[in-house]
Amino acid sequence: MSAIDQLLRSRKLLVCVGPGGVGKTTVAAALGVRAAQLGRRTLVLTIDPARRLITTLGLDELGDAYRPIPLGDLGGEAPLYAAMLDPGASFDALVGRVATDEEHRSRILDNRVYRLMSRAFGNAHAYVAMERLYDATASDEFDLVILDTPPTRNALDILDAPGRLLAFLDERVIGWLLRQPPEGLRGRLLARGGAAARSLLSLLAGDTLVDELAAFLELFVSLRPGFQERAVAVQERLRAPETAFALVTSPLADNLADATYLRDGLAGRGVVLRALIVNRAYVPLGEHPWSASPEARSFEDALQLLAPSSEEERAGLSALLGHISALRRRIADGNCRAHEAALTFASGAPRGCLKVQAPNLDHEPLDRRALAGLAALLADPRAQLDR
Amino acid sequence: MLGPRPEPPSPTIAVSTSPSTPRQADLFARQLLLFTGKGGVGKSTVVAALGVAAAERGLRPLIVELGHRASMGSIFPGSSIDHRPRPVACGGRLAAMNLELDEALFDYIAGQIKIRRIARAIAGNASLRGLFRAAPAVREIITLAKLQALADDLLDDGRRRWQPILVDLDATGHALMLLELPQLLRSLVESGPLVRVTESLSGLIADRERTMLSLVSLAREVPVQETIELYSDLQQRHAIEVGSLFINQVPPPALPSTLLPWLSAAEAKILGGPHQEGTLAADLRLTRRLEEEHLSARAQIERLRVEVPEIPRVELPAIEGGLHGEKELLRLGELALATDADAERAPTAFDRAGDDR
Repeated sequence: MSAIDQLLRSRKLLVCVGPGGVGKTTVAAALGVRAAQLGRRTLVLTIDPARRLITTLGLDELGDAYRPIPLGDLGGEAPLYAAMLDPGASFDALVGRVATDEEHRSRILDNRVYRLMSRAFGNAHAYVAMERLYDATASDEFDLVILDTPPTRNALDILDAPGRLLAFLDERVIGWLLRQPPEGLRGRLLARGGAAARSLLSLLAGDTLVDELAAFLELFVSLRPGFQERAVAVQERLRAPETAFALVTSPLADNLADATYLRDGLAGRGVVLRALIVNRAYVPLGEHPWSASPEARSFEDALQLLAPSSEEERAGLSALLGHISALRRRIADGNCRAHEAALTFASGAPRGCLKVQAPNLDHEPLDRRALAGLAALLADPRAQLDR
Repeated sequence: MLGPRPEPPSPTIAVSTSPSTPRQADLFARQLLLFTGKGGVGKSTVVAALGVAAAERGLRPLIVELGHRASMGSIFPGSSIDHRPRPVACGGRLAAMNLELDEALFDYIAGQIKIRRIARAIAGNASLRGLFRAAPAVREIITLAKLQALADDLLDDGRRRWQPILVDLDATGHALMLLELPQLLRSLVESGPLVRVTESLSGLIADRERTMLSLVSLAREVPVQETIELYSDLQQRHAIEVGSLFINQVPPPALPSTLLPWLSAAEAKILGGPHQEGTLAADLRLTRRLEEEHLSARAQIERLRVEVPEIPRVELPAIEGGLHGEKELLRLGELALATDADAERAPTAFDRAGDDR
């Protein structure tokens, strides 16, 4: 069994991180198809997928709910599901779950700081991914959850955001900002220095914003224990032995720089990288997908096969063959550089990390069969980067 | 061939009747150059290349990458990039920095509260730092305020210290956030120093003489779609000067057009025949595939021409295996600065510097 298959069989959670634009979501979906083929009940959680990926999965639309992916003759016994993370909607749903009553809920949803926080600003994607991950991994419905992290360079937010959110809901800060007089000794202690802190914040941010922030915190303070519990559980799960992180990148310099940042960032957060996937690693030069470097060609043999019947034809076809030869050299040269860059990058991966590469395919996978094909390439022994 | 071939445009004639050309040529006349594009389009490389070109023109360029990033460090190997501007290339004439939240936060607070000790105490307070890290929009305010401080920094002789400042923004959504921020804040903030900051930031962003946003895309379906959506969003909601649309990594034609009929002829002889599994057949298929890649890129560029007509498009060549060294960066930078008229010429393969690697 190939190492990728072993990973898909043995883990409960696979987190795909990587720079944007390297085909990370496609790779995550392909691994999902593969896992289902291996008999694992699988969920692919993705965020803001391109329209094309949704049709590639054979769906008309993809939303917050788990959607079964029809696998037809590709599949085995196990079902494959996909869902999209919608930060705004998911955050609102979360507030709905933890709010004490309808009034509490609508006051939070109407708060302007909350609206900023849950939409564009404040790493909402990462909080939501964390929450959805909690739900999905806590349920018995799936053997494997594949999480495609946000398409930003800040994929590490998934590891940092819960801590940030908790810091935001820091008791001391809340104590400083709450407008109601604190109750009891503990409350008074927390509020000590509060007036000073509050006026400093007002000086920096203005009274209106601080009032709105205080109102938000007041509404949110009761949610803190619930958040904390889930955040701790998710952080534990992300670092558990049944979880694996896979880093997907391309060999382009821009992408490798981001990937290096992610690789080191994961290590710094106590997360072990289990798989490194270099996607679009090279342009295949021959008929089979593993031909990255050119085999020898004989110009004379080729011309003989083409059998030109006139001098004009001979000249034209000769020029064609000459150009093709130059084209192949150019591509082989590029492949060679890309391979060196990928190897250098892979040498920095931790011991025991699986390192594989997939060629630049003629076309992006356009249907489920093509996704399964991409996964089969990744699972091929020849995909090993450091063979 | 019917009739005489048109003369290719001469590179020495940069004057064009197209209204877009002066804008492109004036890129470095602006001080604050913002660059945005979907992740993975090679935005950092374009920014670095323009930075090198600016330094070669005797300007005082500064590249600013936003926190959480490490791209410039690998584009300029051996340089150390941190939260203060440091020379990275071109014999020290090109500087770069990483705009890191915590340090920028201290600078911001210090700017608002003149007593450094108190500013240090606020910035150093763990609870407050937690609040600032998680609180919505703080990152964006701090980022803009820092960019403004850099833009306003003067040398002793009164000239601007940095000219131009090239800002490598995060993905598209992040750029829009930064642009929206002053408007959003205005609804939340009625008094205090943030009002002044907000006013002054909106002013800086909207200043068409000083600030310009450029877009970077690839000639592929998904980034092109995103570019079209971004542009319509910008037009509807934002008062910012949009500069050029850089179309990066455009694949060249596989063959000169005169050889295409010979490719078809060779395919007719080989494919479907007894040698269709051989190496020659494989070569023909590879060539056809690369030609189709080129054609599909041209179709995407045509789509951009129709849907984003007002912005000059600058095509940059695909560089197999990536760019290496300052000379190649400079060459790419010069291509990026070429006028529209030059850019409309059929793109060719990137001519590698044979001697500097």
